[in-house]
Amino acid sequence: MKYETVIGLEVHIELATESKIFCSCSAKFGGEQNDHVCPACAGMPGMLPIVNKRVVDLGMTAGMMLNCHINRTTTFDKKSYYYPDLPNAYQTTQWFAPVAVNGTVEIETSKGKKNVRIKQIHMEEDAGKLVHDDWTNTTLVDFNRTSVPLIEIVSQPDLSSAEEVVAYLERLRSLLRFAKVSDCRMEQGSMRCDVNLSVRPEGSDKLGIRTEMKNMNSISAITRAIEYEVARHIDAIENGTEELVQETRRWDDVKGKSYAMRNKETAGDYRYFPDPNVMPVVIDDEWYDGIKATLPEFPEVKRARYIDQLGLGEYDADQLVESRAFCDCFEEAYAVCGNAKEVANYLISDCMNLLNKKQMTVDMLTLEGKSLGELINLVTEGKVSRPNAKKILAVMFENDINPAEYAEKEGFIVSNDTGKIEKVIAEAIASDPKAVADFKGGKEKALMALFGKCMKELKGNCDPQTLREMLIDAVNKQ
Amino acid sequence: MDIATLKRLEKLNQLALTEEQEKAFLEFFSKKEKEAEALSEIDTENVERMVHVMPIMTVVREDKEIKNFTRDELQQSAPETTDGYWQVPRLVE
Ligand SMILES: [Zn+2]
Repeated sequence: MKYETVIGLEVHIELATESKIFCSCSAKFGGEQNDHVCPACAGMPGMLPIVNKRVVDLGMTAGMMLNCHINRTTTFDKKSYYYPDLPNAYQTTQWFAPVAVNGTVEIETSKGKKNVRIKQIHMEEDAGKLVHDDWTNTTLVDFNRTSVPLIEIVSQPDLSSAEEVVAYLERLRSLLRFAKVSDCRMEQGSMRCDVNLSVRPEGSDKLGIRTEMKNMNSISAITRAIEYEVARHIDAIENGTEELVQETRRWDDVKGKSYAMRNKETAGDYRYFPDPNVMPVVIDDEWYDGIKATLPEFPEVKRARYIDQLGLGEYDADQLVESRAFCDCFEEAYAVCGNAKEVANYLISDCMNLLNKKQMTVDMLTLEGKSLGELINLVTEGKVSRPNAKKILAVMFENDINPAEYAEKEGFIVSNDTGKIEKVIAEAIASDPKAVADFKGGKEKALMALFGKCMKELKGNCDPQTLREMLIDAVNKQ
Repeated sequence: MDIATLKRLEKLNQLALTEEQEKAFLEFFSKKEKEAEALSEIDTENVERMVHVMPIMTVVREDKEIKNFTRDELQQSAPETTDGYWQVPRLVE
């Protein structure tokens, strides 16, 4: 018999905010244990949560990027929860009126294009960290991550393979990074994924028994886990190897196996009810329109524009739309110099190298696009040589400098003073008669020694073609 | 409310009730359930959901980090701490 897989995803994304969702503690990653904590996020009695406006901004932004309807009155609810990583014994989340509902995300796989429906996006607080201490046989609690803002994006069960899941996650990541909602870095836990999966005979309209795998945090682990679960379900159905039950399972990526978790809770057990301490948030037209106006052009629209209107190749366009920071810098620089290909080259090769050297990600690019455009103008006008432009670019990475002023000050402006070039050439020829003789005897390579010497003397501030021609001229006259 | 439901709630809330307490809770919850059922007699068709009892909406703050408390201050009332962690009875997964 042939089977089909039905998958729905719950994706948790940490929002790019400075402070927590219901208190003013730092939402930054790291810090000493319990250093980003106050009476509110430590669950002290009598504390009142106050919603961080930026969280609602980003929740709305995510909703708009995923074609959702925005609930203009959005409310918070309590979800019962019994682990000490949330000290209130409940999680404040959204159940009855989440910020965004009924969206769609278009994905593309080897089988073509497909729309994945989004059920809802809700805002909620993250849990803290538990460390189990074998020595004292106790559990140690760190509330630094408690109440860090998250959105959870819940899809309908519209996905049917690991390939589609990966395409969906990559699409979410691209859209939300573009809209600056989150850096969506799975390896750092700012994007995590619960996979709900069932298997049924192909064509059947009855859903099979569903299992859930929690907190998957890499694309490769998700792929392996889905393949394992599908095989396990089919084996159970066909061969009766085990009885499938609706449960939550843990994926062990090292062993390549999933395990049933002991504490299983079904949705009814969460006993959601409206949180009386958090006032409903009403999104008026001004707020809604303000967020709508900040939405970026979609990555594929930018990509098409870069190719069709600015004449970039597909590879260059793909590289640029990987990151909003690259696109912003590219567009600012292009506005100054009008040379798309040059800007793309500087970003994709030189800036990328500099970022790699500093172990920075593309989103950490702070280079001013305007300055990059000015630097490219200096190069294309022949005022600064390419090797020297690279040196200036490296300085621009560290400091906000005016490239023209800096080039002037550091002596990086190409010399048009032919008298000076002639003098340097004459000195080089005089100092190395062997190279001159070799070159004239037919050894073309001998010229390189003389060329290098001149370039060094001129500090690189000379058009290489001009220097080469003048040098050959001078040597031949010997 | 039957005893199976109560046992389930006990487990979820990590409580261990005595038989006597269970009896008392069963009585209490059964009474409350009846009271709640009375509400279903009211026709709520076409009544919009009441989102909140207070007439106050949209209490939000700007996204700004403020640190008002030190860890030591916060942990003064904690029964047990170690190395700046709150320390609680061990949990099994
Ligand atoms: Zn706090």
